Amino acid sequence: MRNQGFNWHDPILWAQGLGVSVGVFAASMILGSLIGIFIALCRVYKVPVVAPLLLVISEFLKNSPVLVQLFLVFFGVPVLLQVNITPAEAAIFTLTGNTAAFIAVIAISAMDALDRGQLEAARSFGHSERSILRKIIAPQALVVAMPALIGLAVNQLQVTSLISAIGVIDLTKVGQILNQRTWQPFIVWAIIGVTYFVLSRVLAMAGGRIENRLRRHMDWAGL
Amino acid sequence: MIEIDQLHKKFGDTEVLKGISLTIAPGEVVSILGASGSGKSTLMRCMNGLAGLNGGSLLIDGLDVSKPRELREIRKRCATVFQHFNLYPHLSVLENITLAPIDVLGRKKAEVEAEAFALLKQVGLADRADAYPGQLSGGQKQRIGICRALAMQPRYLLLDEVTSALDPEMTGEVLDVLAALARSGTTMIFVTHEIAFAREISSRIVFLDDGVVRADMPTDRFFAEDGGYGDERIARFLAKMRNK
Repeated sequence: MRNQGFNWHDPILWAQGLGVSVGVFAASMILGSLIGIFIALCRVYKVPVVAPLLLVISEFLKNSPVLVQLFLVFFGVPVLLQVNITPAEAAIFTLTGNTAAFIAVIAISAMDALDRGQLEAARSFGHSERSILRKIIAPQALVVAMPALIGLAVNQLQVTSLISAIGVIDLTKVGQILNQRTWQPFIVWAIIGVTYFVLSRVLAMAGGRIENRLRRHMDWAGL
Repeated sequence: MIEIDQLHKKFGDTEVLKGISLTIAPGEVVSILGASGSGKSTLMRCMNGLAGLNGGSLLIDGLDVSKPRELREIRKRCATVFQHFNLYPHLSVLENITLAPIDVLGRKKAEVEAEAFALLKQVGLADRADAYPGQLSGGQKQRIGICRALAMQPRYLLLDEVTSALDPEMTGEVLDVLAALARSGTTMIFVTHEIAFAREISSRIVFLDDGVVRADMPTDRFFAEDGGYGDERIARFLAKMRNK
């Protein structure tokens, strides 16, 4: 392998890797949140068959390594179902499932934290379950869940680095490519590390601001 | 008209209501008295459908609480005030009061808000419309709880130990509001420990003991020596409550 220095093309490669990491993160966070909330609702409202089935799946997703899940989806699923699957698809699919499992846990405990009395009051006044969920439960549960959601988001961002193992050209993979070419591991990995650090901080700060705004509105809600 | 016939309610193996029969006519102010665990609150929870029945029937204006579609209609006619207020902490006082009329009755927001302000004025809290429940004292919260129930313009007002969670100073302000209501002709069903108050405002007393109706008579009969007071169990209860 030849030892070459950095060149003008490297920042573009870095930016591409950054874009892929952020894209996979955002896609899996958004899809995972939707699915996670769906799982939580099935469990809170004790939907028969679906709720226990989802419980088993989400327990598996929470209690096995993400890297193993990635390998299972990327190498295992194509063999099982005789389909082609790109590394990026496998990455988004796996991280979405993994995120959903954790979102479900957070959503369930946030809903559990609410005082039952106000839900009884809402029922006694004839509100439908749907409008109780939308107008009473959701706004309060979101405030309760915010700190855990921010923590999860920061963690899932770091977890995206694992997708380099199945060949997705994300930020970490870009690091590997540059490292192999330049043999400057300290510089390369410091830059990649700082990039993740800055992204995480931005994420945490944005989340903190949203949380503060929600809380300011509910300063007196005793939540 | 509320018609309760041979109502049974069990929690697990414990039978809490053992065949309650009771008819309450529009305009009546009825107090339901009884020791803790006698089934008073459970009876009230059966009326607004928060607890299901295990036997017998409970009809309100001919509608059956055990049928979901009819229960929905019943809930538009019966409003409950709760012991622990159960206000929505994330909504302002005004929003707490207007939520159900807008969402359940489908009424216009402006109209409902105007009525809410009138109710707030009636209970002396006109200046707290924008406050959140967490900013209010217990007595104020309960007055908002009453406004929230009245905003539904209910035919029947169910009051479940509405002063039990308040200190004596605040109990007065809530009872004043209720006394004014009782005079206005709203049908009211009180579950209460406030014996003196029950005597003052209700036209009829129902005494529950261990899941059955031990006495059901006009208020003055209930407190008469040869009426309810003559019953050994009731006399013991009243004596104990007086000493508290």
